[in-house]
Amino acid sequence: MKITYPHMGSLNMILKTMFEGIGVEVIDPPPSTNKTLTLGVRNSHEFACLPFKINVGNFIEALDRGADTIIMLGGIGPCRFGYYGQVQREILKDLGYDFKMIIVDPPHGRLIDFLKELASHFPNVDGKTALKSFVFAVKKMIAADKLEKFLLKLRAHEDNPGVTTKIYEEYIKKLEKAQDGKEVDKIVSEAMKKIKENANVRRKIQLKVALVGEIYMLLEPFTNMDISKSLNELGVEVTKTEYLSDYLINSAFKLPQRMEFKKNARGYLERDIGGHGLNTVANTVKYAKLKYDGVIHILPFTCTPEIVAQGIIAKVSRDYNIPVMSLVYDENTGQAGYQTRLEAFVDLLYRKRLDVVV
Amino acid sequence: MSKTVGIPKGLLYYDFYPMWKTFFEGVGAKVVVSQDTNKKILDEGVKNCVEDACLPVKTYVGHVINLKEKNVDYIFIPRIVSVERKKYLCSKFLGLPDFIKSLIGDLPPIIDIEINYYKNNDEFTQKEFIKVGRMFGKTEDQSLKAYFEATHQQKKFESLLKKGLTNLEALKVWEGKNLVKEESNYDLKIAVIAHPYDIMDEYISMGIIEKLKNMGAQVYTMEMLERDLILEGASMLSKEMFWNYERDILGAGLYFLKQKNVDGVIMVSAFGCGPNSMTEELLERIFKREKEVPFMLITIDEHSGEDGIMTRLEAFTDLLRFNKKAVMV
Ligand code: SF4
Ligand code: SF4
Repeated sequence: MKITYPHMGSLNMILKTMFEGIGVEVIDPPPSTNKTLTLGVRNSHEFACLPFKINVGNFIEALDRGADTIIMLGGIGPCRFGYYGQVQREILKDLGYDFKMIIVDPPHGRLIDFLKELASHFPNVDGKTALKSFVFAVKKMIAADKLEKFLLKLRAHEDNPGVTTKIYEEYIKKLEKAQDGKEVDKIVSEAMKKIKENANVRRKIQLKVALVGEIYMLLEPFTNMDISKSLNELGVEVTKTEYLSDYLINSAFKLPQRMEFKKNARGYLERDIGGHGLNTVANTVKYAKLKYDGVIHILPFTCTPEIVAQGIIAKVSRDYNIPVMSLVYDENTGQAGYQTRLEAFVDLLYRKRLDVVV
Repeated sequence: MSKTVGIPKGLLYYDFYPMWKTFFEGVGAKVVVSQDTNKKILDEGVKNCVEDACLPVKTYVGHVINLKEKNVDYIFIPRIVSVERKKYLCSKFLGLPDFIKSLIGDLPPIIDIEINYYKNNDEFTQKEFIKVGRMFGKTEDQSLKAYFEATHQQKKFESLLKKGLTNLEALKVWEGKNLVKEESNYDLKIAVIAHPYDIMDEYISMGIIEKLKNMGAQVYTMEMLERDLILEGASMLSKEMFWNYERDILGAGLYFLKQKNVDGVIMVSAFGCGPNSMTEELLERIFKREKEVPFMLITIDEHSGEDGIMTRLEAFTDLLRFNKKAVMV
């Protein structure tokens, strides 16, 4: 059995570590590129959301490299993600691939349940080994997320452009290969130290922007055209509001977290609407209250929960007088026009601060 | 004087108007419906909605504005989470009242009760309707009575659908109006599978149903099918869809494919509809593999031209007639 899965932020690292830990061969989907996207677009419905299309591209590329089993998440709605696998399977079948697709339907939609359910598909694996490699994988993921949070702040202050990203990428690779917990800790602290040494630029006006929106778009730099990097390069500190590790922390943490979302969104959106629409509204309110300079909302074209959120956060923006920009991504989101929009937005934030200063 | 409640003529209006109207009248309110969709309504909707929203939601926004202009006392924009056990509606319905309130300023009070049968009991939704009754000064008992009468009327309406009437026709009959007598010299049978709000709104659908009838086709919609037939169709899939309307679309499509009791199937969906991107993809692939029943997709959007649709419908009916002859020979 040669297993593959779609790209989904640091979930890859978890799955890879886990499967290799239990001795199953993994074929990583090659990094998503424009070719991946083209393959996905060509074989998906026009109004399928972007993550769907990229999944399809990832699957095709991994199957072409010899994978024969696809692991995919399922779900019970109301967002269409829960039915992705069913449709993608038919697309790949029509393309003539011979493969097995394991669609894991977590009972409560929690990542931890997903992993438990996943384990049930591999009955021959001894539970202890699986658990051990899972715990280690989670540790890596938390470490990777911690490093990214650090990066998104400090890169806005880098002395030599491009150096920080290089350091980060180098250490993420090291992290992937790390063999034990001690090594993980060492890698993270070393990386942080190096990043810090190269981050001495200070400005009179330091802008802070929160990135909210659809989780896949936030997790996958390829899909969002590495928006954090572009913003950092414009001198903006970035806070990304969705990390997978936030969802992995045990369920005792889940409930208060959900309550916080509900509380923040109150008066704007009164219930969960699927996907992460509620989080988007809640986070926009939260960072508006924290006096961030602006919020950027990223969503794929036709994403139902985020379209609802888009309409709502426009009102949050007016009520709190905080600039909010929604960026809708599809396969035609051109680099040029897109970069101009980012720059114009950052410019607006500067001018807003200048007005206050004067 | 009794208070007026505006009901926007969009989205699930076509499915639940009898129930809603009966209930509001039962608690002493006067019901006002927005006008039929027209250019102004659609333009207002497009202008005031999020650019990438689907066409039916944009249209709905236009209807809410139309009601606001009519100075009604309340507008009914329910949060419809689920109309069937363990099934959801699309996210847009789950957040609809919040969304509309954010988009349009200075609205009259919105009645945004939650309609939610996810857990398979009436109780939750009844309580929501009792809340509405209270707004009109009614006791729990009075509201419950209105609720039961409303569900009774709804069943009456639904049984009209099962007799082969489209939602629009059934609404007319339910309101006691006469239907225009149809000549029944149809030589084709075509199933048109879609959300009712896509095909019953004659403006945004550019009268697809009427056009097909005029071309000599008897039209079947998924609402006309008995529930067990839809479930029979849906059971051909390895996992049942978690949205009831998309399940119906898939179920009806597969049922017609299996029974071959129609000459062709047309699926209509709206520009930007997320859920339909999944059902269309599946149905189109399955129909193509089986090659037994011709299948056509039509996407409607605010720019689609009447001519384009006409040409496609003509081509499709020509094809079906050609197929029929070929079989006879
Ligand atoms: S949240 Fe949006 S992008 Fe993600 S699967 Fe759902 S509809 Fe698609
Ligand atoms: S199901 Fe489609 S058309 Fe209906 S509200 Fe949702 S996205 Fe719009």
